[in-house]
Amino acid sequence: MTVLHNLQGFFAELRREGVLITPSQATDCCQAVMQVDWEREEYFYSALFSTLIKDFAHQETFDQVFQRYFIPGKEHRHPEKENIAPVVYRPEDFIEQISISGGQMAMGNSLSQGGAAQSPGASKNPLDQDFSLDSLADIHKLEAVFPIIARRLAAKMVRKRKHNHMAMIDFRRTIRSSMSSGGVPIDLFTITKSREKPVILTLCDVSGSVMTFSCFSLALIASLERFFRKIDCFAFIDEIDEITRLLTSGNPLDLRTHVLKNAKVVGASGYTDYGMSFKSFHERYRRCLTHKTTVLIFGDARNNWFNDESWVLQEMKKNVRKIFWFNPEPERRWGVGDSRIYEYQKHCTRVFECSTLMSLEKAISQL
Amino acid sequence: MQDRIQMLKNSMEKADYICNDKTAIVLFLAEALQKPILVEGPAGVGKTAIAQAFSRMKGIPLMRLQCYEGIDESKALYEWNYKRQLLHIQAAVNQDPRQVEEEIFSETFLLSRPLLNSIVVDTPTVLLIDEIDKVDFEFEALLLELLSEFQITIPELGTIKARHIPYVFLTSNASRELSEALKRRCLYLYLDFPSRDMEEQILLLKVPDLPEQLAGKVAGIIRRLRGVEMKKLPSIAESIDWAASLMWLGKDDVDVETLLQTLNTLVKHHEDLEKIERLLHIRQDLEFR
Repeated sequence: MTVLHNLQGFFAELRREGVLITPSQATDCCQAVMQVDWEREEYFYSALFSTLIKDFAHQETFDQVFQRYFIPGKEHRHPEKENIAPVVYRPEDFIEQISISGGQMAMGNSLSQGGAAQSPGASKNPLDQDFSLDSLADIHKLEAVFPIIARRLAAKMVRKRKHNHMAMIDFRRTIRSSMSSGGVPIDLFTITKSREKPVILTLCDVSGSVMTFSCFSLALIASLERFFRKIDCFAFIDEIDEITRLLTSGNPLDLRTHVLKNAKVVGASGYTDYGMSFKSFHERYRRCLTHKTTVLIFGDARNNWFNDESWVLQEMKKNVRKIFWFNPEPERRWGVGDSRIYEYQKHCTRVFECSTLMSLEKAISQL
Repeated sequence: MQDRIQMLKNSMEKADYICNDKTAIVLFLAEALQKPILVEGPAGVGKTAIAQAFSRMKGIPLMRLQCYEGIDESKALYEWNYKRQLLHIQAAVNQDPRQVEEEIFSETFLLSRPLLNSIVVDTPTVLLIDEIDKVDFEFEALLLELLSEFQITIPELGTIKARHIPYVFLTSNASRELSEALKRRCLYLYLDFPSRDMEEQILLLKVPDLPEQLAGKVAGIIRRLRGVEMKKLPSIAESIDWAASLMWLGKDDVDVETLLQTLNTLVKHHEDLEKIERLLHIRQDLEFR
């Protein structure tokens, strides 16, 4: 049992908890540990923390794993992990094992293998997973896909902007590049309005009936945030509240609980009421809407037979650029029972059926 | 080892910055591993100040790149001085064109911006890249070469390697998530609001002649005040201002009335101000519960 070995186990444990640790981070970590005094727990902790964790949201997980793994006595481990013996770090072991210069390659290899081995039996592509209730447990698997989707979407939007040839000539850039051709402007550069990112306003149904879907949409909105100039987010059940500041990156499941706990989304009845929510949005937040705004609504439009107040959307449509609705239900169930989607559809630019993550991505990319 | 951390803490304190063990270790590691530090945390906890203090401690210059939305390589890395190049071409009509071409793409015609500056100067430097979360996603990629290899590649000139590896600090308010590639290249330091004792020390250091008892009181009140949910929590800078203003007002104790009078040095948001005032009026104490 050497410390290197144990560190690897520790990395594997962190990865299992969903913290991404790359081989280069792992080698950094080993180097850092070589530099500090292992005898003192806080030094050891800081060395690991500063090299492995790059997001404050992961601190809690890190602390738990650290406690479980390195602090004997306090551990509260799962039975199946019992085979990993708790470790007290001993410097002597460590020096034996690593000569950093030579050991790096091997270390890198084995570490990356450890990473690959940790997704057991992921038979189904997470992108095609249905938004049904039973997939709630699999949310963790999907967490990794969000940034990828967000990035892909952003790339698409950038490409759209770059194809704009109807722009003014960027004199400075053109002259500058003409230097290489002796002052003859061979390439023309235009001023691209690359800064004009759309302003997005989202309304998200967070009620129980669309539980999984709302987790996804909240997480997606949170990860989209970096690509748009401004995103305002609102959540509702039968009362609406602004949640923009609550959307910090993190676990999608926690995100929804966090919203439910900290925002006033439940009103008098507690049942999903689109009409009431839209009405109070109109009363309180209507001023957020400008002609630049694109409104995204996430929900199944199941209104529990309340008034649908679709005039709010009609009003809204006059003021904003576009309204898109994302409905997690398959199209055959639209309009059945208390679904009022067809009523709202009249006032939306488009309604998308998004029963899987794939279709959600596809829908968003069409905006 | 322990001595070295302690020494680092002491010399940082001499440079007017009080840090805890955690921070000191990260600073130590950054120096040992020659890696940039990514500093995150709420506004006003001394993210920028740590870089400034570090440069004071080392006695080396600080180069600062203030990031903003829309910053690009010509403002951060380098730019060709194309006016000078034009003039040079015109002046050198009768020369061998190939030679002229070589000349105009030499370092004489290069305008170096903070990032390039920080690696070509003859002395070691501290490079502060402030508010990195403000830049566009694409700009981050530009920094990668600098942050991992400490070099900058200019297509016309070749690669410029750092003469001395700079100490790099990146600060971020976490207004958006940074790319994995960037994070991977840095050590991570999360600065939170200081503990009560640490804040007391900071106050004593930053406000000369502040009575110790008052510093303790102020630190305690600020600590509790930060427990209230507000739009913007009072930062260290604001607690320093408050302590100083209390001292100037000749107070040696803080009561509800004093706080009400001086609340606007601490709370800068209208809604927060109303909330705290209401709390103070109802409870008539400084517990904020």
